[in-house]
Amino acid sequence: MASLGSFLLLASFVVCSYAAAVSVVGARRRSRRLIESGIGSFYLVCALMSCASAVMINAFLTSDFSIKYVDHYSDSVQPLFYKITSYWGGLDGSIMFWVFLLSVFGSVAVYVNRERYRELIPYVVATISGVQMFFLYLMIVHRNPFTTYLAEAPAEGQGLNPLLQNFYMAIHPPSLYIGFVGMTIPFAFGIAALITGHLDDSWLRAVRRWTMTAWLFLSIGLFLGMIWAYEELGWGGYWMWDPVENAALLPWFTATAFLHSVMVQERRSMLRVWNVTLVITTFFLTIFGTFMTRSGVVQSVHAFGDDPILARLFVMFMVVILTGSFGLVIYRLPLLKARNELDSWASREAAFMVNNWILLFAAMFVLFGTMFPTLSEAITGTRLTVAAPFFNKWMAPVGLVLLLLTGTGPLLAWRKSTLKNLRDQFLWPATAALVTAGAIVALRIPFWASGLCFALCGFVTGTIVQEFWRGGKIRRKNTGTDMITAIIGLVGRNKRRYGGYIVHVAVVLICLGFAGNGARKDLQVLLQPGQEATVGRYTIRNTGVKVTDDGQKQMVTAHLAVFQNGKQIDTLYPAKWFFRKHEQEPTTEVAIRRTLAEDLYIAMAAPPKLQDQSASIEIFVNPLVNWIWIGFGVLAIGTGIALLPERAYSFAIAKLPAEAAAATIALLIILCTGPAAFAQSQQHGMGGPPVTGSDVQTSYYPRTPLERQLQHEIVCTCGTCGHANIAECRKDPCGTSHQMRGELAALIDQNKAHDEIIQWFVTKYGSQEMLGAPLDKGFSRMAWLFPYLVGATGAVALGFAAVRWSRHSAAADAPPPLDAEIDERIDDELRDLD
Amino acid sequence: MPHRYIKIGLTVVVLGVAFSGMLWSTLREGTEYFKNVDEVINEQHVWQGKRVQLHGYVVPGTWVQRPNTLDYKFKVQNNPARGTMPGGVVEASYTGLLPDTFKDEAEVVLKGSFGPNGFRVEKDGVMAKCPSKYEAASKSASSGS
Repeated sequence: MASLGSFLLLASFVVCSYAAAVSVVGARRRSRRLIESGIGSFYLVCALMSCASAVMINAFLTSDFSIKYVDHYSDSVQPLFYKITSYWGGLDGSIMFWVFLLSVFGSVAVYVNRERYRELIPYVVATISGVQMFFLYLMIVHRNPFTTYLAEAPAEGQGLNPLLQNFYMAIHPPSLYIGFVGMTIPFAFGIAALITGHLDDSWLRAVRRWTMTAWLFLSIGLFLGMIWAYEELGWGGYWMWDPVENAALLPWFTATAFLHSVMVQERRSMLRVWNVTLVITTFFLTIFGTFMTRSGVVQSVHAFGDDPILARLFVMFMVVILTGSFGLVIYRLPLLKARNELDSWASREAAFMVNNWILLFAAMFVLFGTMFPTLSEAITGTRLTVAAPFFNKWMAPVGLVLLLLTGTGPLLAWRKSTLKNLRDQFLWPATAALVTAGAIVALRIPFWASGLCFALCGFVTGTIVQEFWRGGKIRRKNTGTDMITAIIGLVGRNKRRYGGYIVHVAVVLICLGFAGNGARKDLQVLLQPGQEATVGRYTIRNTGVKVTDDGQKQMVTAHLAVFQNGKQIDTLYPAKWFFRKHEQEPTTEVAIRRTLAEDLYIAMAAPPKLQDQSASIEIFVNPLVNWIWIGFGVLAIGTGIALLPERAYSFAIAKLPAEAAAATIALLIILCTGPAAFAQSQQHGMGGPPVTGSDVQTSYYPRTPLERQLQHEIVCTCGTCGHANIAECRKDPCGTSHQMRGELAALIDQNKAHDEIIQWFVTKYGSQEMLGAPLDKGFSRMAWLFPYLVGATGAVALGFAAVRWSRHSAAADAPPPLDAEIDERIDDELRDLD
Repeated sequence: MPHRYIKIGLTVVVLGVAFSGMLWSTLREGTEYFKNVDEVINEQHVWQGKRVQLHGYVVPGTWVQRPNTLDYKFKVQNNPARGTMPGGVVEASYTGLLPDTFKDEAEVVLKGSFGPNGFRVEKDGVMAKCPSKYEAASKSASSGS
C-alpha cells in the first residue's frame, strides 16, 4: 500500500508539471486544445491526490504500522474518528493534506470560472500547479508520508497525543488549512491578471468570494484554536501570542485589509497596486507561516522540530514567490495606475486606507515580534525574547483604533463628506459613545483598561443600528412594506454591505470579550480538605480529592463546592488525567461555570498530593469571555449572508410589496418555529415509539422522568459526537453512550437521587466533562458549537428558504433586475438625500 | 507639488520617529535575556536585578516544597544530570503552581531575576518542557498553520 501511495504522489507531481507547462504554452500559442489539456490534467491531479488520501486513511484504518507516519500518530485502540483525523496530525501528513485541499479548491475554482475568465484560466492553472509542485516535491524528496520501516514493522503504534484527542482539535486544523489553501486561489488569479495584463477590475470579481470564503474558514479556525486552548490547556486564557498562533493570524490581517480595500477599487478605481500587493502578501504570509512553524526557525512550545533542509527549500520557494510576483507588479505598473485621486480625507476611501495601513501594520508588527528572538540572535548574538505583555501593549491600541474606524468608515460618504453630512451621520453614534462612556464613569469601571473599548463598542453599535434604520426607512417608503421586510430586503439588495455590518456587530462582541480581560482575577492556592479560598464573588471549598481508573487512564478529581453570599451555588470538578503510555503528560480537565457575565474557571495543577487530599488549584474569574465565542458565531452568520448567491433574497426585493411582506412573514415564522418544532419532535421521538421489553434492555429508553432528565444532562464521553447527551447519542451506534445509559438505568433501579447519580458519574468519569448540566443553565456548552451550529444552520436555512421563496415571486412577475452596482449607488444617494 | 511632498515627507518622518521611539521603549521593558545556566553562573552580580529567562535542567532530588504552601525551592544546572558534563548549579525559589511537566531532570526555562538568595522566579515564570511532549505537541502545531 505504501508504495502505491508513493507512486500516486510521484504521478501527481508529473501530471502537475505537465499541467503547468502545457497551460503556459497553450496560452502563448492561443491553442484551445493545449489549454483544455492543461485543465484536464489539473483535474487529474485532484483525482490522484484523492486516491493518495484514500490510501493514507486506509493505512490508518487498518493500522498499517509498517508506515512510519501511521506508527507515529496512531495505535490500534485509537477510536475510529481519531484514526482518520491522524491523517493531518503530523508534519508529513499535513503537507499532503494541504496539497489535497489545494487540488480540490483549485479544481472547483477553475471549473466555476473556466468560461467567464477564459484569458486568465491557463495562468491560474499554471500558478496553482506551481504551488502544488513545490509541496509535492517536498514530500517526494524529503518528507514522504508513505516512508516505511526498512526492517520489521512495530506491532503497535505510538498513539496520538491525548491533548489532541479532542473533537475540536480534530476539526480545527482542517478549518485553518482551508483558510490557508483558499488564499492561493486569489493569488493565482492575481498572477494571471498580471501576466496577461487584463488588469481591469474583473479579476477582482472572480476572487472576492474566494477570499471571503477563505477568510471565514481562517476565522473559524482561529476561533476553534482559541476555545480549544481555553478549555483544554488550563491556563485560563485563549491567546498567548505563540508563534504558531501568530502564523495563522498574519494572513488574517492582510486578508481583512484586502476585503476592505477591494471596495475602494470597485467604487473608485483606486488602490490598484495596493490590492494586488495585498493578495500577494496574504499568500506569501500563509507560506511564511508554514515555514516558520515547520522549519524550527522560531522556537515555540508547539512548533515542529528543527529541519534545516525543509527550511532551505522553503526559503528558496519564498524567494521565488517574492521576486516573481513583485517583479510582475513592477513590470505592470503602468497598467495599474489609479484612475482617481483621493479627494478628501473625510471620505470613506480615506477611512478604508487608514484601516488598511493599520491592519498591515498589525501584521508587520506581529511578524516582527514573532521573529524578534531569531533576529536578535542573528544580529547581536544574544537571544532576546519578547512575550505576551509586549504584544498586548502594542496590539491593544491598534485594536482600539481599528474599532474606532469600524464605526467611522460607514458614516463617511464616498469622495467627500460635507460638514452637514458629518453632523447628520455622527450625531447618534457619537451620542451612543458618550452615553456608554458616561455609564462607565458612573459605574466606576477603570476607563483605560476596558472602559474606552466599551465606549467605542457603543459607538460602532450606534453606527450599525443607524445604517440599518435609515436604509430600512428609505426602503419602506419606496416599496410600501413594513419595516422588517424592508430591512430584510435591504440586506438582500446589498448582501455584501449589510453582511459586512453584521460582521462588524461580531467585532463589537469579540471586543467586549477582550475588554473583559482587563478585569480578570486569578488566584493560585493550595487547599487542604475543608479549606476555602475567595476570588471575586465566589468562595471555593475543597471537599476532597478522589482517584479513579477506567482502564485507559487514571483520573484524579478534586471536588470543589462553590459558594456565593454564603449559599452553595454549584460544585465543580477539575481533574488531572494520566493516560496509559502518556503518564508523563497528564491532561488538565478544567471545570468552568459559565455565565454571560463571567466564567468561573478552575484548573488543577499537578502533581496532586493524594496522601492529605490537598488540591493545588488555580482559580480564574474571566468576565465577558463568552461574548467572544458568541461574536464568532455572529461573524459566521454575517459572512454567510455576504456569500449567499444573488437570487437568494429576490423575494424581498420583489416589486409587489404585499407578496414580499407575506413571504417575509412566512419566512420568519418558519425560522422561529423551526427549532421549536425540531425540539418537539426530539421530545416526541424520545417517549414516542412503543417499545418492547427487549428494546428497553438494549437501548435503555428512559422509564422515569428522572431518568429522562438525567439522560439529557449527561454527555456522552466518546469524544466523537461533539458532546451530544446520552439520550441523543442513541441515534448513532455508539457503544459509549449505550454503556453510560446502562449505568444510569442501574443507578435509577437502586433508587438513587439526582445528585447522588451525578456524583457517581463524576467520580467514575473523573471530571465533569460528562455533565451536560451547563446546557440546562442556558448557555455554556453551546459556546463550543456556536459558530458552526448557528452559522451553518442559520445561513443555510435562511438561504434555502429564501431561494425557494424567491422562485415564487420571480415567477410572479418582475421587471428586469437593475444592475447591482447601479442599485447600490441609488441606495447610497437616496440615503444621502434623506 | 513640492509642497505636497514636503507634507508627506514630514508625516513619514514624524510617524517613523514616533514608532521607533515607542518600539524602543517597549522593547527595553518587554525583552528579556535568554541565558543558559553556565553563561551566568560566574557573573551573577552582573545579572542582578535584570530580567532573565534562565535555561537549564532540574537537578534530581533538590526539589522541595514548604508544607501547606505553594513555596518551592529547587536547583537547576546547565546540562541534564545524566549528561557527561553537568556544569554549574543555580538555586531557584518560586511561589505558585508548577506545570505538569516539571519534575526531576526536566528541561526548564525560568523567568525572573537574580537576588541575594539565588534566582527568584516570578509568578507563572516556570516553563517546563519534556522531550516527548515537545515532539507530541508538535502535532498541535499542525493546527497552527
